[in-house]
Amino acid sequence: MFYRTAGQFKSSYEADHALFPVRQDAILLGVILVFAFIVFPVTASEFTFRALLIPVLIYSLAALGLNILTGYAGQLSLGTGAFMGVGAYACYKLVSIFPEMNIVVAIAMSGFFSAAIGVLFGLPSLRIKGFYLAIATLAAQFFLVWLFQKWAWLYNYNASGAIQVPNIDMFGITVAGPRATAMTQYYFVLCVVCVITVFAINITRGRIGRMWKAVRDMDIAAELVGINLMHTKLMAFFVSSYVVGIAGALFVFMWRGAAEANLFDIPLSFRVLFIAIIGGLGSILGNFLGAILIVALPVIIGSVPQAFGIPVDSAMVEHLNIMIIGALIIAFLIIEPHGLARFWAMIREKFILWPFPH
Amino acid sequence: MNPRPDPSELTAPDDGIARGGVLLDVKNVSLSFGGVKAITDISLDVLKGEIRAIIGPNGAGKTSMLNVINGFYTPQEGTIVFRGRERRSMKPHQAVGQGIARTFQNVALFKGMSTLDNIMAGRSVRMKRNIGWQMLWHGPALREEIEHREKVEEIIDFLEIQHIRRTPVGKLPYGLQKRVELGRALAMEPTLLLLDEPMAGMNLEEKEDMSRFIIDVNQQRGTTIALIEHDMGVVMDLSDRVVVLDYGKKIADGSPDEVKNNQNVIDAYLGVPH
Repeated sequence: MFYRTAGQFKSSYEADHALFPVRQDAILLGVILVFAFIVFPVTASEFTFRALLIPVLIYSLAALGLNILTGYAGQLSLGTGAFMGVGAYACYKLVSIFPEMNIVVAIAMSGFFSAAIGVLFGLPSLRIKGFYLAIATLAAQFFLVWLFQKWAWLYNYNASGAIQVPNIDMFGITVAGPRATAMTQYYFVLCVVCVITVFAINITRGRIGRMWKAVRDMDIAAELVGINLMHTKLMAFFVSSYVVGIAGALFVFMWRGAAEANLFDIPLSFRVLFIAIIGGLGSILGNFLGAILIVALPVIIGSVPQAFGIPVDSAMVEHLNIMIIGALIIAFLIIEPHGLARFWAMIREKFILWPFPH
Repeated sequence: MNPRPDPSELTAPDDGIARGGVLLDVKNVSLSFGGVKAITDISLDVLKGEIRAIIGPNGAGKTSMLNVINGFYTPQEGTIVFRGRERRSMKPHQAVGQGIARTFQNVALFKGMSTLDNIMAGRSVRMKRNIGWQMLWHGPALREEIEHREKVEEIIDFLEIQHIRRTPVGKLPYGLQKRVELGRALAMEPTLLLLDEPMAGMNLEEKEDMSRFIIDVNQQRGTTIALIEHDMGVVMDLSDRVVVLDYGKKIADGSPDEVKNNQNVIDAYLGVPH
């Protein structure tokens, strides 16, 4: 009913390559953006910002970075948490060494540090694939977290061993640190996520995206159509780790406010991997759907039963959360390996055909 | 971060070799894996503009020969001269840069991608816009995309696969997959096209279609073709010259008629009492 594609004709390849071949998709996205930019900030409470909106965006970004590597280029990685850590620590050092540097520049630059580390730990991918590569990236995970703990210079020889985000102003508004308001930080994160998502969509639908997918689907054939495997894989590691690093910097500067090394340990890597798997590997939209599910689930478990008068203590919420996420992952791997993004694609297909079954 | 070969290598379809001149010259090539000799001292040439068939019983070394030609294997002995340039070893993506494309015996398509994307992937090396332009999409990157899309659509029209443009290739029947794979190879605009059993597992009608495409590619585009095929009827009708391998050795070389009447070939295919 809403998705009528009749009458929408393409008369040029340019129109055919448009981001939204169906007009209703563009309208839907417009509605979502209106909600994200206007409706949510007007209505949300401090708790909603901190517990839902900001983490959803940051986790989406981290999952997007991982998805570029795993979903598009087919290189399995378990080091996402550590690469986020590299972004966070790099941003922290940049801000402490150059206090007058604009925070946007600092965050954008910290991505390059994690990208460089990502390429370094991506080098084994030239020789090994699949699970073996996953183990190699696991080495990055353990090594980097160890480094964050042991190298005191990284946290400015702080006695607590943690990094504390100072108050940072941008154009007269405090955007990070204890004085920053949740709404400012939400807008900051939202803008960064929107820009990077647009870039990621453009890269993945063009030549480079096709090269990544070719390497993922059949690397020998990719080589024989002239794709340089080494460059293509390392580029995937570079772009992926860049995005993940940015997500890590936002994670600490715009949300947590402080971080210890073990925050970036393997549970974080798994969390991001689960978001990417539940959302859908090889999809941009999936990262957002997955992040919404994973971040909202504990909040829903904590609040919905209480609304019905059933008392649930916080330990129970935690246990239920882990159990449900575990069940979901198993269910998705069996029923729909392409995740929530595929579900949406199927629903959309039904809407287009509605009311006819075929 | 520049995964493309030198563009000057790509834009040289006119390499000074006239039609009928030697395009590829394989000289005394031997290839072995440990103790197994796959190819023993084989020499063969491919002339520009011809259809050259490589035949032989199973395990004769035909596919190994193609793998040597496009740089997938490095022979232990012998040299290969392609377009007047001699080389011992090269990477497959460099072979593409010099104008060699191939298809596989068992289809090697990118299964998760649509037909259109598969063929577009064949043009990756010809697209030049870097990641910065790709990020912006609008402007040069989009213009380039459309320019190549037009070329790809020509191939799609030629191979009559318009109806499966958006279908993920993993869902296509085998005969169409073979056709898409040919399309991907054509998108690379090769000087030399290597086809490894293009008609394996096809029914008569599909074989006729494929034969027609191969002849059209050869005659309209002037592409030189080297193919491996087991269907003798097809081989004898299509090819200008045939080389016969058996146990890694060359046993005959010549026009289809000469080969057909060669005693060694008859022995190799029918077997001889020892």
